[in-house]
Amino acid sequence: MNRTSSPTPPGLILLRGLAFLGLAAIIYRFWVGIGAVANLSDGYPWGLWVAIDILAGVALAAGGFVVAGLVYIFGGKQFAGLARPAVLTAFLGYLMFVLGLVVDMGRPWHMFYIFIGNHQSPLYEIGWCAFLYTLVLALELLPPVFERFSMDRAYKIWQRTSPWLVVALLSLFTWAMTFSLAWTLAVASILLGWELMMEIGVMGRKGQTPVLLIAAGVMLSFLHQSSLGSLYLMTPHTLNPLWHSPILPVLFLVSAIVAGIAMIILESLAVESILGHKTPLEPLFALAYKIPILLIVYAALKIGDILLRGQGGILLTPHVPAAMWWVEMSLGVFLPLALYVAPGLISKRAGLAVVSVLVVAGLVVNRVNVAIVGVEVQRWHTYYPSFFEIFITLGILSMGLLAYTWATSQLPIHDQE
Amino acid sequence: MKALLMDTTFCVACRGCQVACKQWNQLPAEQTVFFVGGGYQNPPHRSSETWNLITFNEVSRQDTLDWAFGRRQCNHCLEPACVSACPVAALTKSPEGPVCYDESRCIGCRYCQVVCPFNAPRFEWGKRDPEIRKCTLCVDRLALGQEPACSQSCSSNALIFGDRDELLEMARTRIAKRPDRYVSHIYGEHEVGGTCVLYLSKVPFEQMGFTTGLPNTPFSQEVHRAMAAIPFALSGTALALGALYWIINRRLESFKEDTEEQS
Ligand code: SF4
Ligand code: SF4
Repeated sequence: MNRTSSPTPPGLILLRGLAFLGLAAIIYRFWVGIGAVANLSDGYPWGLWVAIDILAGVALAAGGFVVAGLVYIFGGKQFAGLARPAVLTAFLGYLMFVLGLVVDMGRPWHMFYIFIGNHQSPLYEIGWCAFLYTLVLALELLPPVFERFSMDRAYKIWQRTSPWLVVALLSLFTWAMTFSLAWTLAVASILLGWELMMEIGVMGRKGQTPVLLIAAGVMLSFLHQSSLGSLYLMTPHTLNPLWHSPILPVLFLVSAIVAGIAMIILESLAVESILGHKTPLEPLFALAYKIPILLIVYAALKIGDILLRGQGGILLTPHVPAAMWWVEMSLGVFLPLALYVAPGLISKRAGLAVVSVLVVAGLVVNRVNVAIVGVEVQRWHTYYPSFFEIFITLGILSMGLLAYTWATSQLPIHDQE
Repeated sequence: MKALLMDTTFCVACRGCQVACKQWNQLPAEQTVFFVGGGYQNPPHRSSETWNLITFNEVSRQDTLDWAFGRRQCNHCLEPACVSACPVAALTKSPEGPVCYDESRCIGCRYCQVVCPFNAPRFEWGKRDPEIRKCTLCVDRLALGQEPACSQSCSSNALIFGDRDELLEMARTRIAKRPDRYVSHIYGEHEVGGTCVLYLSKVPFEQMGFTTGLPNTPFSQEVHRAMAAIPFALSGTALALGALYWIINRRLESFKEDTEEQS
């Protein structure tokens, strides 16, 4: 990091301004209550904050577990340079998500009851899982900190203890989800068996990173990414059948994986052009070629599901939900796939950027559709977000971006060549 | 299990039950206006301060216009969506029937509002320390051996409190005896798995502003299935990841050496 100090770029000033406005709005919201700042109502109790800060935010942070898994479990060594930025993005993404949650909850000071809550509720699962995953991400982020401050001893201790910590955390989690000793023992013994086999050398161990830590990230992500979809299994009375489907959890998981990958590509390109780090392009292309396969799987699941449930007719109805379904699918699936077919486009920076932006936009529209557009409550006027809601969401986003630029300037995140 | 039967054909819309509910639960009066959503309905909507509302519906019957008075409140479902949804178990179903709320655990996430088929839970939007408010089926009065305030106050016998099975029997008999007086449907017998508030009506329930088209299975069914899959998913992904790691890692012995040199 040998960039000379230059005058603050206007983008940074804008971000700081938005972050400040957002913070002020958050304080005001806690002072006067949610009703005074948001357009939420008893008919539409969830709105923009849930759609963007929670649903879209968590999905777009999926790149962290996808890239970490690719590198450390699936042996994708060409992606090794992307792992740290991806994990950092995911970690900050989850912090933003928690902040969004605190703003949206009426009484966040009770939030720790969620750990002794109701294990039938998908929200309980999401609470547990997101908390543990944030912890796992923090652990995954420690190596750059150790390197930066040359803490070799701590690095060693981290390597040695984190697998056991992971076994303990995941066992506790299984217990909390099932209250069943059998299941807890089953999960614990699979993980212990894995670690022991590596310990005695039956299974190889590679590199410095504890594999179990990465595996825990993947397991927890699979669960809560899909549980965010499970939330809406219980709303057959309000959610349009275009989106209300028994396979919603699977759709949420698959779309999060694709969009998470697109987000990583976008982030690398943005970092290159804005912060001026050199990004090798080959890994990005390799990553980008996983997108169309996943998109085809997603499209097949999504369209097959609608047709099998006999709701295909709605797609041709001239009303807002159907139109928004087409917008969502065109942006996120059909257009990107078309661009992959066009020769040579993807092998250029610009093409890569366009495809990634489309996929990310498609995901955001999808989550907005599930949380807002597709929801119709009898006897209530539709919901539109208020300026306050928008400013708080923008503020949280800006805080995340500022934290990202700050962290990358302090820690060896991008310099791994 | 205890329940309420509301025979709307007897209701004269005196709103005595609304007042009794406010009095017993110490709910403040609301500033109200006629003819903003619901004609003479007053107040126009339920809120955190009005848990029980008599609705005024103009219906056409036998070629004339007629009033049909309905009612909205928490229906105290047999398998409540709100109870399955609440992440902190602030909502619970008691064996006697009422679905109760414990303010000391609630995190204010409003998931209960999102899933309730009858839009019953209301949030105190204007407060700094907001709670969820809704009909309690007067669980505190039941504990004293009394009936709910609303049914006790009902002067036209439209609201009857009793054992759910007996009330269902009574409702069936009424429909059988006077098929001209009732539509042949007991609202709440099967809706979303059955509820502890049952309704009889002279006109189809959709004309009375009731939520119709609800399935006969509880909303929580699909979500229970998804939640039951969690331990399988957890151990399945662990096994699959471990196995894949083993296989791939063997194939890439050379990679192992590579990274070790690097690090
Ligand atoms: S009517 Fe709504 S609030 Fe009342 S028990 Fe049923 S789901 Fe819960
Ligand atoms: S708002 Fe309160 S009662 Fe309702 S689901 Fe959330 S924690 Fe439970």
